[in-house]
Amino acid sequence: MWTKIKWGIRILLLLMVAGFLHYTLPQHDIVRISNTYNKLTPIGGNWMFYGIEDTGTGAETSVNRDIRYIDGVFPNGKVIVYRNEDTGWVWPPYFKYDSATLQGEATNLKSDKANPQWVSITHYGWRLPIISIFPNAVNITPVDGPDVTIIPWVNIIILTTLAFLLFMLRRMWLQFRERTIDPALEDVGDAWDAVDARADDARRSASGLFGRIGAWLGTWRSKPRR
Amino acid sequence: MIFGWIRLAIMGAVVLAIVYMLVSVYSRSIRREKLEKHFDAGGVEGDRDAYIENGMKVYQHGLRRRLIWLVVVLPIAAVIATVYFVNWN
Repeated sequence: MWTKIKWGIRILLLLMVAGFLHYTLPQHDIVRISNTYNKLTPIGGNWMFYGIEDTGTGAETSVNRDIRYIDGVFPNGKVIVYRNEDTGWVWPPYFKYDSATLQGEATNLKSDKANPQWVSITHYGWRLPIISIFPNAVNITPVDGPDVTIIPWVNIIILTTLAFLLFMLRRMWLQFRERTIDPALEDVGDAWDAVDARADDARRSASGLFGRIGAWLGTWRSKPRR
Repeated sequence: MIFGWIRLAIMGAVVLAIVYMLVSVYSRSIRREKLEKHFDAGGVEGDRDAYIENGMKVYQHGLRRRLIWLVVVLPIAAVIATVYFVNWN
């Protein structure tokens, strides 16, 4: 029972970390840009998935926001909508403040079905229509065709760094435990052993009523100094 | 907001200072343990405490301790690189 609960919690934690990373790390889409526009967007309970207030021009509120959008079409005909918002300086740490320029680039790279101009859009986030959230476009670069391969160097570096940090954190904790906590616990253990020994002595001498009272009084005497 | 990056700088300075402290304590602890083990393995003349204190003095002026500054420098470089590649490239 307890092992099942423990494993359940572990798997849940792992899923949360994986989901968090999948949302935050950059990904590349190869699309054709079909439209770019602004839309007054009401923001409510889904505020978490939009830019933090006051990050861009200072006009971002948590009620209504004029947000730039980019419509994309995948090579297989499916569509995707990106928002194009400044991220500000804290989270997620893209430090993006050029959304106006990015919108200009996106508009410049707009193309139609007959003459498609394929672009690679770097973005983070998810498109979840049920809560009206959109991935945030970060970078746009023209590519030769829909079949280019893009190696996610940034993700490789970030994930390797995270793994290394976890490894180092564990080593630091183990070192701290070995050098600081364990010696302290040993001291406590020694103190307890001394108390035990004294209790044994007291028990041995505690025979008969007066012996017992004497032994009890003896436990109140000051400890022998070490 | 324009003050965003100032807030980031202050928060970053606090976090990096804590990280630097933790790493430097860890590094010192590793060095001390190494010196202790080296002495206990035998073959070293003289007093144990004096040997360790001397070794720690050498560490204090060594390259390895200076390299700990990388935990401050690398994140700052990463932030600057991110700002450049996201906004200027």
